[in-house]
Amino acid sequence: MLPASLDEAVEALAATPGAVPVAGATDLMEAVNAGRLRPAALIGLGRITELRGWRYEDGGTAVLGAGLTHARMDRPDFAALIPALADAARTAGPPQIRNVGTLGGNIATAAPAGDTLPVLTVLEATATLARAGGTREVPISHLLTGLDPLRPGELLTWVRVPLLHAPQVFLKATGRSGPARASASVALVLDPARRAVRCAVGAVAPVPLRPLEAEAWVAGCIDWDARGEEGAALIDPAAAAAFGEYVAGACIPDGALDGPEGAGALAARLRRTVSVLARRALGRALK
Amino acid sequence: MTTTDPIDSGAIDPGTVDPGRLGSGPVEADPRGPGPLDPLGFSPVEFGGDGRPCASYILRVNGFERPVTDAWIGESLLYVLRERLGLAGAKDGCEQGECGACSVLVDGQLVAGCLVPAALASDSEIATVEGLSAGGAASDVQQALADSGAVQCGYCTPGLAVAVHDLLQRNHRPSEVEARQALCGNLCRCTGYRGVLAAVQAVAEARGTEEETGEDAAVAEPAAEPVAGAPETTEPLAAPVEDTGIAQPSATQPVAPQPVPPVSAQVAADLPPAGEMPLYADSEAWVEAEALYPAEPTTAGTGVGIDYGTVTVHQTGIYEPYPGYTATPAHGTPYDSSYESQSSYEAPYDAAYDTGYGQSHYEATPAHGTAADGPVYDGAPVHGTPYIPTPAHGTAYAETAAGYEGYDGTTPAHGIHLQPSAGGTSISEDDHA
Repeated sequence: MLPASLDEAVEALAATPGAVPVAGATDLMEAVNAGRLRPAALIGLGRITELRGWRYEDGGTAVLGAGLTHARMDRPDFAALIPALADAARTAGPPQIRNVGTLGGNIATAAPAGDTLPVLTVLEATATLARAGGTREVPISHLLTGLDPLRPGELLTWVRVPLLHAPQVFLKATGRSGPARASASVALVLDPARRAVRCAVGAVAPVPLRPLEAEAWVAGCIDWDARGEEGAALIDPAAAAAFGEYVAGACIPDGALDGPEGAGALAARLRRTVSVLARRALGRALK
Repeated sequence: MTTTDPIDSGAIDPGTVDPGRLGSGPVEADPRGPGPLDPLGFSPVEFGGDGRPCASYILRVNGFERPVTDAWIGESLLYVLRERLGLAGAKDGCEQGECGACSVLVDGQLVAGCLVPAALASDSEIATVEGLSAGGAASDVQQALADSGAVQCGYCTPGLAVAVHDLLQRNHRPSEVEARQALCGNLCRCTGYRGVLAAVQAVAEARGTEEETGEDAAVAEPAAEPVAGAPETTEPLAAPVEDTGIAQPSATQPVAPQPVPPVSAQVAADLPPAGEMPLYADSEAWVEAEALYPAEPTTAGTGVGIDYGTVTVHQTGIYEPYPGYTATPAHGTPYDSSYESQSSYEAPYDAAYDTGYGQSHYEATPAHGTAADGPVYDGAPVHGTPYIPTPAHGTAYAETAAGYEGYDGTTPAHGIHLQPSAGGTSISEDDHA
């Protein structure tokens, strides 16, 4: 029930096929309490201390344990490393949830409003899946979209995040001022080495969306050579606003606006929210 | 992690009503005996009478080992505490982790008890609201909550007591913003949180006073003596010891709200320590809300009357004693007439203080017919004034004639850092962007 090492956990998972590996249990217990889930067995991952931290790997990558809690990701040392992920973790919920909810659980649950998911998508992270006798690497986006899902007996152990050393922003719109489920969220990072902008929109679709055309377009509008100069305007405000519209139009298709009256208005409002979030995220990243 | 697996297969019937979750007694012993032992030697998974997976384990709650036998593995810690162990302090509000009424401490971490599988907490140290104080008396946090009017229906109170306890363990001098952020997971629909925040400040001040008087008595006693102007020169220990006796809350005595510590001693303690800055305090865009009412001499320092002026001082960290200021004398010191001749008291103090005690800031309601101070209604516009219609609901602000440029109607989400504005105090489009 409470294996102390990764190997034990993987063996236990192989031995009991119906068992559910559980770390923070916040999503799992909500389903159990509501009667949607009756686990045959639980394998607690809380005692696997190696998964609760992170480490550097060959310079440019941070390897994050799946058991890293949101509260831990919010701390300043981690925020200096991956600020967008720290912002997402900080806004993910109240302290009671953040103290136990983990990065791996957020990925495994793959809720549409999962706050770390757009950040991991935009950072193009890869997940390490362990099973008895081996591991494999899967891009987060493949895992989330079901292109290459978690197979029975596999355990999400590590998340590899390339470090960019460039501005990265996470913004989230919620229904109230306290911590709440996102109605829309935007993660945006700059990749100055490739002169690229990457953007992901969360909570508006079952999985985080990447508006690739808008990214490519706006990368051409940015004055990359002026980066670092004092008071330089890197992008025309009109272009930033147009980027917001572009992103919103890509993520909420025109078809959604023509729905029945209420749904159409809702989609229009959501599109405006996404547009504003994307414009602000770009503005903050380029400041 | 594969929460979508067909887990309901096999012997587990999803439609089975779980008697263990309806009744409070332990599930009857399994007639078929214990199930197969886990091959790795973990605690055995058994199957109850109706085929549900069960487990027996021992919980360490408030320092006591409490055995739990044949409990369904899906039972939450909250359920086990309340129904099996009889610790009904934590309340069952939403079972979704939204309300915080079930807050307990597991290994020193504040968690929602309803979202912790009890079977997985078996080797953790669990602390509930019942364990906040020994001997059944109210702890200082609980007493302060009661004194501050933070209890109405009381359903959220155990969770709030645990959350406030946890907050003050980690942060001895929380600002109002920090307190609000720490308590944002505890919903209270009665009191409006004002009382809770006042209780946080009351306990923080009481504990701070306790610490400082303890230190004074032990270390800084000669330094404190001339400032306090202790009347008894033959008994130098008298004043500090007396203070300590007043400040230390005992377990059986309700904690009276403590006076604020002397200003000279308060300065260092009140500066927010590095790394614990309130979230928005370093941003120019963060505007402190004005205190709702001026701090009155009678309520200042009790911590019960909401003295947010003091809190603002904590946050900004610009609290400096002006030259020539001497600390407030210790409680019980005979009144010194030299106070009246000190001219340095006048400048920074609110003039209202000079009106003396007993007089409040209350102004009588003016007689009927008195002209109001506020915005005066100056009649309907003259005929022919062009009418500017109010824009339709949902119109973007920028499109209106007198629109607030730059505001998009979207407030940044909770916890997002506001960026300090680059171009001075005005918030332009790019500062928000």
